[in-house]
Amino acid sequence: MVRYVLKTLWRHRTRTLLTVGGAAVAMFVFCFVGAVQEGLTRLTTGSEADRSLIVFQENRFCPTSSRLPEDYAETIEEMAGVDEVVPMQVWTNNCRASLDIIVFHGADPQQLQRTRSLQFLAGGWQSFAARRDAAIVGRSVAHRRGLAVGDTFTIGELSVQVAGIFASPLPSEENLIYTSLEFLQYTRGLETAGLVTQHEVQLRPDADPDRVAAAIDQRLRAGPVATTTRRKGAFQASTLADLVDLIGFAHWLGYACVGLVLSLVATTTVMSVQDRLQEYAILQTLGVRPLMAFRLVLTESVLLCLAGGVLGTLLALAALAWGGLAIGAEGAMIAFRPSFRLAVSGAVVSLVVGLLAGLAPACQAGTTSLVTALQRG
Amino acid sequence: MALVELNQVCKSFQAGEETITPLAEVDLSIEEGEFFALMGPSGTGKSTLLNLVSGIDRPDAGTITVAGTEITGLSRTKLADWRAAHLGYIFQTHNLIPVLTAYENVELPTLLLKLSARERRQRVELALEAVGLGDRGAHYPRQLSGGQEQRVGIARAIVAHPKVVVADEPTGSLDSDTSEQIQVLLQRLNRELNITLLMVTHEAEVAAIASRQLILDRGQFREREAVH
Repeated sequence: MVRYVLKTLWRHRTRTLLTVGGAAVAMFVFCFVGAVQEGLTRLTTGSEADRSLIVFQENRFCPTSSRLPEDYAETIEEMAGVDEVVPMQVWTNNCRASLDIIVFHGADPQQLQRTRSLQFLAGGWQSFAARRDAAIVGRSVAHRRGLAVGDTFTIGELSVQVAGIFASPLPSEENLIYTSLEFLQYTRGLETAGLVTQHEVQLRPDADPDRVAAAIDQRLRAGPVATTTRRKGAFQASTLADLVDLIGFAHWLGYACVGLVLSLVATTTVMSVQDRLQEYAILQTLGVRPLMAFRLVLTESVLLCLAGGVLGTLLALAALAWGGLAIGAEGAMIAFRPSFRLAVSGAVVSLVVGLLAGLAPACQAGTTSLVTALQRG
Repeated sequence: MALVELNQVCKSFQAGEETITPLAEVDLSIEEGEFFALMGPSGTGKSTLLNLVSGIDRPDAGTITVAGTEITGLSRTKLADWRAAHLGYIFQTHNLIPVLTAYENVELPTLLLKLSARERRQRVELALEAVGLGDRGAHYPRQLSGGQEQRVGIARAIVAHPKVVVADEPTGSLDSDTSEQIQVLLQRLNRELNITLLMVTHEAEVAAIASRQLILDRGQFREREAVH
């Protein structure tokens, strides 16, 4: 009987294609919204986000406005629970929300090597350490900007030589460019010798992050610049607060897409069943059970929804994988990445929506009066 | 025992404020192998009776027994199973499934029975041969003439080897030449395959091919002499 369903869909191929196309577009958007939310969750949760702290200048937001003494690192390092402190200069071309934000993190190359799990796709640590203006570039930025090892990349006052392209288990990190700390500090126009934007604090396994953060702020209160110390995840969530609100709102867009697929497939299936009510009556007159007629309609609606949903999901995953997109603000980046979870949720949502969309017309096909339906012809 | 037996069957419809009673305490029995024609003008309840015997409609009162099964008390699902196993239905307007080929249309009722693929194929091929369309299996309904479509409809009705085949105005939508061919075919099926046929028609010359004819008039039957 599945052959009957497939042939019916093929016979009305314009309607089928339009419905599948509509469902695909809606599921594409649904997966994109899902990818943004997953990116935000990745950025603000997980061990990296919870087990390291960011020390920032008090009441400052954009990296360009935070100026902390570099030697705060020595003070912080002496405190209980602290494993290592990475003084970091951050430079961004745009403090507002943007899809093509460029963020430089300047830090000591050896500390970077110790504290980051970077996997080089081209170049390496050696060539990074060999030149003062060398930079290692996350693969998403490299892809977006078309950069390869040996290229010179200039933006604003900064000009760097690409010494490596890296992948990272943290997708947002693949949107960063690392240089040496001195290079960023001594770049013309920045005038930040002896100053850094933030200190990144790696904690010992037994340390309580919130207690250490409070102790750091307390200790540095007497220094020349007061600080605000937060877990890295909380820091990034706070930095991206405006975007977080927007992303929170965007999840309604995801639900709207599901609703759109539901109404689209339900409308198509209802119209299809009403056009062919006589056909379902003929089938039942021949001996097809009402439940089988019900299942035939449900199969039709599920096939439409799955075809469109899976197509849209696959296209979205391909676009996410290929595009290396990220949205950022104030130096923090949310990377959009494809994931197995996204693929599964796209397929499951399509299946469930297909079942829901087919319920009412399936009931109609299974319970229609055979005599009345046969007379319609 | 009769193959089809109607006992005090009543059926009424509400048309606005008026109650129409096409069948009022009707009794009827049709023997196995009989070719039974029911005649009467339009609106006298011939098709209603056919629908009741087929189990696609229910009587207001009385009992209907077909092939030993009292079908009036069966659920919709059980009726579907019963139809699949015991009943063939020939529609006036062929009612083939347009997306399926002639072969697939004929195959449909066999998919509802527990048959092997080989047996199913044999039955479909035999049924198509029986109606003279052995070479038209791959054609879609739109590629067939009205007469050929009706032949496919007949093949579909007999492919499951039903106990009884009901035909609702089987020649009603055909020209006279094609109608004659279908009449000959129905007669052959009744004589050569011993299929019990219950046919409804308003055409006297079509009814004449049946071995027994009744006229339904004001809710009651009246005998009509068979012309042979």
